[in-house]
Amino acid sequence: MTRTPSSLPAGDINPAPLPEPPLTKEDAARSRDRARVHRARGGSRHWQLLWLLAGPGILAMLGENDGPSMIAYASDGAQYGLGFFVPLILVLFAMAFVCQEMCMRVGAVTHRGYGGLVLQRYGRIWGWFGAGDLIVTNLVTLIAEFVSIRVGLAYFGLGSGAAVALGLTLVVFTLSGKRYWRWERVVLGLALFNGLFLVAAILVKPHPGAVAASLDFVPFPGGSFNTLLLLLASTVGATVTPWMIFFQMSASADKGMTARDLRHGRYDTAAGAVLAAIFGIGALIAGAALLTHGGSGIQGFAGAGFPEALKHVAGGAAGTVFALGLIEAGAVAILTICASTAYAAGECAGVSHSFNNSPRSAAVFYAANLGVALLAAVVILIPGAPLLSIVLNANVLATVLLPVTLVFMVMLANDAGLMGQWANKPATNAVGITVIVFVGLCGAAYGIDSFLQVIHLVGP
Amino acid sequence: MNDAHQDPGIGERNPQPPERGEDGPLVHLARGQFVAETSRPVARAALSARAVAGLWALRVFVVVVSLMVIYTFIDQLR
Repeated sequence: MTRTPSSLPAGDINPAPLPEPPLTKEDAARSRDRARVHRARGGSRHWQLLWLLAGPGILAMLGENDGPSMIAYASDGAQYGLGFFVPLILVLFAMAFVCQEMCMRVGAVTHRGYGGLVLQRYGRIWGWFGAGDLIVTNLVTLIAEFVSIRVGLAYFGLGSGAAVALGLTLVVFTLSGKRYWRWERVVLGLALFNGLFLVAAILVKPHPGAVAASLDFVPFPGGSFNTLLLLLASTVGATVTPWMIFFQMSASADKGMTARDLRHGRYDTAAGAVLAAIFGIGALIAGAALLTHGGSGIQGFAGAGFPEALKHVAGGAAGTVFALGLIEAGAVAILTICASTAYAAGECAGVSHSFNNSPRSAAVFYAANLGVALLAAVVILIPGAPLLSIVLNANVLATVLLPVTLVFMVMLANDAGLMGQWANKPATNAVGITVIVFVGLCGAAYGIDSFLQVIHLVGP
Repeated sequence: MNDAHQDPGIGERNPQPPERGEDGPLVHLARGQFVAETSRPVARAALSARAVAGLWALRVFVVVVSLMVIYTFIDQLR
C-alpha cells in the first residue's frame, strides 16, 4: 500500500511533504470503507454515496426511540390522546436534529469523539464529569431497555432470563465482526424494525381525521402541574439524551466521515429524525387506542400490560406487533448505548476506541461495551428490583443531566480552533442555546417540584 | 470563550481532506484520521474566569437537581 499526503496546513501553498504517520490495522480498515466512498463520489453514484454514508444519524435517532421512550409515547396517548403530543414530538425531533447535526459535524471535522475532545480541550475534570453522567444515565437506561425486552417477551410467555440472553447475545454478536461497518449495518438492519410501531398504529385503525386534526396544537389536556412537568421531562428525555451526543460524534469519527461528507451526514441525521418522529407518533397512536378504555395497561405495564391491553382493544395482531416493537426498541438501544459507553471509556482513558480494532488491541473499549450490558442484565435478574420505577425515571434523569453535555457540545461546535470554517453559525447557536434552556427548565422544574412535594413543602 | 492558545486546531490543520481517485492502491484517509494523529491530544482551550464560573454553577445546579430526582425516586419506592 502506498500513501498520499492527505492534508495541507491552512494557507500553505507549496509545503514540504509531511512525514507519513504509521499505518495501523484500524487505519487500514477505515481506509477500505473510505475507498468505497471515494469511488461512489468519483462516479457520481449519489444513491450509493447516500447508502455508504448513512448510519450514525439514523442509529442515534432510532436508538433513542427505545423501550422507555415508546412506552412514554404510548402512555401519553393512552392517558391524553393525540392532540397535545403529535406537535410536541415533531418539535422535539426538530430540536434533536439541531443537536445531532452539531455532533456529526464536530465528529466529521475533528475525527474525534465527544469524551476525548472535552477532556483534552477543557480539562480532565470536565471530561470525567461528562463520562460520569454518561455512565449513570446509560446504566439506568440499559436496565430500562432490558425491562422493555422482558415486557415484549412476556407477551409470548418468556421471562427475564430470555430477555437477558437475547440482549447479551446481540451485544456479543455485533462485537464479533471487529469492523465498524459490519456493526453499523447489523444494527441499522435491526433498527428499521422500529417501524413496527407504525404498523401497530395502522392495526389499531385510528380515525384519519383525528390524526390529521392532532397536528393543530392544542393546550395540555389536563392533570396537575407536576404531571405536565413529568410528561415534558420524560418526553424530552425520550428525544435527546447524553448518550446520543457521545454516540453520534464518536461513531461519525469511527466511520471515517470527513468535512466533505457533512451534507450527507445531515441527510442521515434528518432521515433519522423523520423516521423516529413517525415511529414515535405510531406508538402514540397505538397507545391512544386505549384512551377510551381509561388508559388501561399503564398500571399493568410491569406485567406486559401494553401489548395485552392492545390485544383486547385492537386485536391480537396489534398486541403482537407492539410487543415485537418493544423487543426491537430495547435491543437496538442496548447496542447503541453500550457503544456510546465504550467510546467514552476508551476516549477518556486515552486508549484505542474503535470497532475497527480487535478486542486484544482495544480491551477497554470491548470490556466497557460488554461490561455495562452485563451490569444492567444482572440488575433485572434481581428478584423484587424496582424495575417499573427505574423505567419511568430513566428518561427524567437523562433530561436533568443533559444540559451540561449540551453546553460542551455547543462549545465544541463553536470552537474555531477545532472547527475552522465549519464552526457554528449564529442561527445554529441561537437554536442550540434555546434547546439547552428548554431542556434545563423542563428537567429542573420537574426535579424541584417533585422534591418539594415529597418533603411536603407544596401540595400535589 | 474557548480560544486555542497553542498550536492551530484541527480545523485549520486539516482544512480539506483529499478525495483521490482510483489511481493506485492508496490509503483513503485524511491525515487527521490516522490513529497516530487522533492519538495526539488537542491543544487545551483557555476558558475565561466567567466561563469557568458559569460551568461550575451549571454543574452544581445539575448535581443538586439530580439528587432531588434520586431522592424522589427512592421515596416513591417506599
